[in-house]
Amino acid sequence: MTLNLCVLTPNRMIWDSEVKEIILSTNSGQIGVLPNHAPIATAVDIGLLRIRRNGQWLTVALMGGFARISNNEITILGNDAEISTDIDPQEAKQTLEIAEANLSRAEGKRQAIESNLALRRARTRVEAVNVISY
Amino acid sequence: MSSSHLSMLSSPKFSDLDSLSSRSFLSGLCLPAGAAASPRPSPSSTGVVHCGLRELRTRIDSVKNTQKITEAMKLVAAAKVRRAQQAVVSGRPFSETLVEVLYNINEQLQTDDIDVPLTSARIADIKSLGLDFVVLSVGKKGNSFFQRRPHIPVDRFLELGGLPTTKDAQAIADDVFSLFVSEEVDKVELLYTKFVSLVKSDPVIHTLLPLSPKGEICDINGVCVDAADDELFRLTTKEGKLTVERESFRTPTPAFSPILQFEQDPVQILDALLPLYLNSQILRALQESLASELAARMSAMSSATDNAIELKKSLSTVYNRQRQAKITGEILEIVAGAEALV
Repeated sequence: MTLNLCVLTPNRMIWDSEVKEIILSTNSGQIGVLPNHAPIATAVDIGLLRIRRNGQWLTVALMGGFARISNNEITILGNDAEISTDIDPQEAKQTLEIAEANLSRAEGKRQAIESNLALRRARTRVEAVNVISY
Repeated sequence: MSSSHLSMLSSPKFSDLDSLSSRSFLSGLCLPAGAAASPRPSPSSTGVVHCGLRELRTRIDSVKNTQKITEAMKLVAAAKVRRAQQAVVSGRPFSETLVEVLYNINEQLQTDDIDVPLTSARIADIKSLGLDFVVLSVGKKGNSFFQRRPHIPVDRFLELGGLPTTKDAQAIADDVFSLFVSEEVDKVELLYTKFVSLVKSDPVIHTLLPLSPKGEICDINGVCVDAADDELFRLTTKEGKLTVERESFRTPTPAFSPILQFEQDPVQILDALLPLYLNSQILRALQESLASELAARMSAMSSATDNAIELKKSLSTVYNRQRQAKITGEILEIVAGAEALV
């Protein structure tokens, strides 16, 4: 019994295949999903999505969204998603530094919200590249 | 091709020499009566071209080059429209699923008693205040327009390179979201050109925020379209010409499983869904704007190419006529000279 995982972003489908297990970062913590999970709908936080397939773990940097799990079908709608192998480590680090600089320069509530979001996203991308796969 | 039985110049364009029939020394030649039947292009199409042969030649060459350029631009635009349409198609699964989810969450919410701050209950409050607006401009033309009008408050200028990506849409969505959430603005409207067909684009205004409680996308005139009704455009060929077909379809919205549990409370879920909705709407608007721009460029280049072809044709006719007149003049001089010697 395998799970079918579908990761969608506004401009294309990032992932559509069968998986054994996933670990999802939600607003209320990380949840692991195995086959025959109870149906739930949850908001997804900006963080890593780890996928186990054929005994190997893959990492996807997910920029927030929504996930629905029912009947062994997982549908994740993300604002943006990048598979860790598609991320360039140097570029991710640079983006993180720029985001940190922007946050320290932010004035006002609005800029603070924006730069916070950008920082979290950049951090997730760097984490996705650095994660050890076991 | 005139059916002449002349023994003299066998050039097929001899029919054009009927203009010289008035000259007496040509009376020995019998000009074909039917020659005048070949219609001369009306002089009004080129005016009367008085330049010399060399200038005409140069002009014809430059028109030929222009034609090549415009045709190339048309083909490039056509290829890009196809890609833009591909992008819209690959964005479909996302919007379909999102619509499904939104519908079901709305249904669930309407049975619960939840105070959702992002729905149109706030519009009543807003209407009592005056209208103050700020513009977020995207694209070169818009940017230069607003830069020349400093009295319109512009929040940010954005420019896109090529096909709009999720990151571009995200940047705009972030801005909108933070403005809305920090209560600096109360209503967000999206203004873009909707791609109707290869020759027609409609500017439309959609209310992006606040969301209507029934999951509808509302126009500025209050015309609401169900979010589940989606329209797609497709570039196809009909009778050998490129056309665009729009097909509207309705996303199937099956009900959620009734035992579906929400991991967080509905407000948080909606908070998560909102950026998704914003992103997909903005991305869709960007893609449609790009497609309308490309379609307009395609049709403009296509008519420019046709004009160039016509211009070349009439210029060539004038050129040839002048060339033949020159040749005839030289022949006449020789004949007159020969006769004078005799």
